[in-house]
Amino acid sequence: MLAKSAEFLKYETDKVITWCSNCGNYGIQNALVRALVLEGYSQRDVLMCFDIGCSGNGADKVNAYTLHGLHGRVISLAAGAAVANQRMKVIAFAGDGATFSEGVNHLVHGVRNDYPMIFVHHNNENYGLTIGQASSTTRLGAKMNGAPDGVVIEPINTLQFILSLDPSFVARGFSGDVEQMTEIFQAALHHKGFAYVEILQACPTYNKVTPDAWYAERVKDVSVLPDYDKHDIWAARHLVQDMSDDIYTGILYENPAKRDFMSLQKSREGIDTQLVDEVKPFDISRLL
Amino acid sequence: MNRFRIKIGGASGGGLLSTGEIIIRALRDMGFYAVADREYPSVIKGGHACFTINISDKPVRALSEKVDVLMAMDALSMEKYIDGLKDGGVFVHGHGRVVGVKEVLASAAGRGVLVVGHDARVIAENAGGNVLMKNVVLVGMLWKAMGLDYKFIEDEVKRKFASKPRLLAIDLECLKAGYDAAEQVLSLPFSGGAAGADMIMMDGNHAIALGGIHAGCRAYYAYPMSPSSSILTHMANYADATGMLVKQVEDEISVVNMTLGSMAMGTRALCATSGGGYDLMTETVSLAGIIECPLVVVIAQRPGPATGLPTWTCQSDLHLAVYAAHGEFPRAVIAVSDAEDAFELTQHALNIAEKFQSPVTVLTEKLIAESLWSIKPFKLGTVPIERGLVEDASELAALVSEDRYRITSAGLSKRWNPGACDAYYHANSDEHLEDGSLTEDAEPARLMIAKRMKKLKLIEEALPEPVVYGEAAGADISFVGWGSTKNTILDIIDIYTEKGIKVNYLHYSYIFPLKLEVARKFFADNSRVCLVEGNYQGQLGMMLEAALGVKFADRLLKWDGRPFFLEDLEKFIEKNNG
Repeated sequence: MLAKSAEFLKYETDKVITWCSNCGNYGIQNALVRALVLEGYSQRDVLMCFDIGCSGNGADKVNAYTLHGLHGRVISLAAGAAVANQRMKVIAFAGDGATFSEGVNHLVHGVRNDYPMIFVHHNNENYGLTIGQASSTTRLGAKMNGAPDGVVIEPINTLQFILSLDPSFVARGFSGDVEQMTEIFQAALHHKGFAYVEILQACPTYNKVTPDAWYAERVKDVSVLPDYDKHDIWAARHLVQDMSDDIYTGILYENPAKRDFMSLQKSREGIDTQLVDEVKPFDISRLL
Repeated sequence: MNRFRIKIGGASGGGLLSTGEIIIRALRDMGFYAVADREYPSVIKGGHACFTINISDKPVRALSEKVDVLMAMDALSMEKYIDGLKDGGVFVHGHGRVVGVKEVLASAAGRGVLVVGHDARVIAENAGGNVLMKNVVLVGMLWKAMGLDYKFIEDEVKRKFASKPRLLAIDLECLKAGYDAAEQVLSLPFSGGAAGADMIMMDGNHAIALGGIHAGCRAYYAYPMSPSSSILTHMANYADATGMLVKQVEDEISVVNMTLGSMAMGTRALCATSGGGYDLMTETVSLAGIIECPLVVVIAQRPGPATGLPTWTCQSDLHLAVYAAHGEFPRAVIAVSDAEDAFELTQHALNIAEKFQSPVTVLTEKLIAESLWSIKPFKLGTVPIERGLVEDASELAALVSEDRYRITSAGLSKRWNPGACDAYYHANSDEHLEDGSLTEDAEPARLMIAKRMKKLKLIEEALPEPVVYGEAAGADISFVGWGSTKNTILDIIDIYTEKGIKVNYLHYSYIFPLKLEVARKFFADNSRVCLVEGNYQGQLGMMLEAALGVKFADRLLKWDGRPFFLEDLEKFIEKNNG
């Protein structure tokens, strides 16, 4: 355990953290690093990729190889990195804007393609870093910066959307429950394809409608349902329909039959090396 | 300079391309130097399209607008292309009834055109074929009309249909029937054999794909856009043989981000698009600039703005490549001109991007992308892979995080792959300190931006100067240009050398950062230096005039989607010398 604590501390930065106090990001990052250490990933085994926003501002607040890209594009950037070297675990983080507005096309095709990576959606129901505008997950009626009369359209049901795309792994955590998030991330680290993880994240500064306490009253670990079958997509779709009263967390859906992206590439059959190992002159006279 | 010119016209999608390829390959087999291009509208079926071939007993690079022989595969193409046939030329057609084409034939006869016309449909049916085989009948007629050795065209038809033996037998019957039905009306003014037997037919996009593969490119990402799409086709067709990852993704933004992600992880990746797709990519080009990650994007130019002329050619995206994307960062822009340098420059582009940890844009044009040239097989291994990566184990072990973006006097810092050693770093789109940690402080930001910009000077020093073709000094008329223009002017230099008029040409392959030394001397040593560019504004000209403080004596600009034909240059030279 001491050795594990030492490993954990290696990831810890001594930089000044710029998240608000009680921001959900602290718990998310904490749980992720715990999961990495528990699963034996050293700093050299991971590339963390960040989108733009409050979650993105974590890009240099962890002592690890990180890649901080553009708004909405982290899934593509991370997927390109992940397929190039599968010895590295690639984990991408993005907020509401990237996931369900600016980059929703990449989300659709990231899930469909089952790229070998973990994707974490920080769902804090607003645009935090641009000071509290509505996002696609902001609740109906919430008064936001730029929407003083309240949001007039319903939020996207995020997991209903994801489940419609034939995903291979879907989980949901709550930023107030580090232990469960750790377990989710551990399971995601074992998943070969695209592991979609949504974290319901407190935003004490701008999300007044669904604060920590609101979620704490409503989240339920899916393990409380004894008959729940996480391989049954219709059970999952039924379960995630409720976004207001009983909000289920944990690993909600897994499809072990879906083959991940790289294993479907005929051109890569029988090749044990990674793309990063293969940069050398190729004799094209064999092709003509 | 000997040159013989053939145009084949037909409906778009009516087998024109494969017919043209059979003919040019047979001419190649006969040992002619050959060049060809096709023109077609942005539709799958219908509309006029043509395939133009020029051959010579000496290297030939560009096309003439007029042709010596026109072969029309349908009535519409007769009308469309007959004016491009020279007076006294040969017109091959397969129409049984002259109704509807009477006027065309009458006006051609008035210009002394020799007509070889037989009902190709009837010939095909009598030979056991169907209406679709009238194309191969026409090919037989064309071959006979030009007095060419039957064996060569027969071999190419055999090669083309080798995988369909039942069809092949009928096609050969039709070819022979067409050949037998036609009259020989001319003999080529020169013979084949000069080019040798080992020539291959190569287009620019194919050459870019092969250049990338040869240079160790292991991933190719794409979203289809004319005229870049055939690079995807080639890469995908080679994927099984090369073990490359070739992936069509959801949009150009994803294309360039996946390319950059793969490069950031440490492999070599490539992507291509046209101007509109590059517009979507530019934010990511800027990202490559700040995280100092190599990136190579090919822009296959077609005329804009917006959808513009999707299947036509131009050189109007030079400024897009040089200036697009926000913020200031170093980059390089390279322009290919033909299949041979497309193969080589693609390899250099990857080296430059990796060595200087910067984005590189490779410009090609629809004309280059789809022109076919007969060339010697590519020389391999002439551009050794240079990655500028720290790969040595002991050197890796000695690295610290701050080495990644260390502020060095020359501007270049060390680069190593994620996971290569314990010295992690942050490749950060925010302005950053030496280990990549975010900073918004004035002095560190000032220093880091300046460090990156110093690489522009390094790139400039590393790039070759533009090349002078023809005699370096004292020309009667001189040209400056880039891209496919080289092909036209090199043919023009050959033509005018025979006429005793000195033409020379300064060609930019490496356009940005702009090299000036040779250009300065070119202006000093030549009295009438003219600009030739396939755009409205003279984009390279604007850059050169601003940098050198010179004025071009005259400008030959073209922005109608058509390439520079020999006649364009001839008219311009006559005007300038008159």
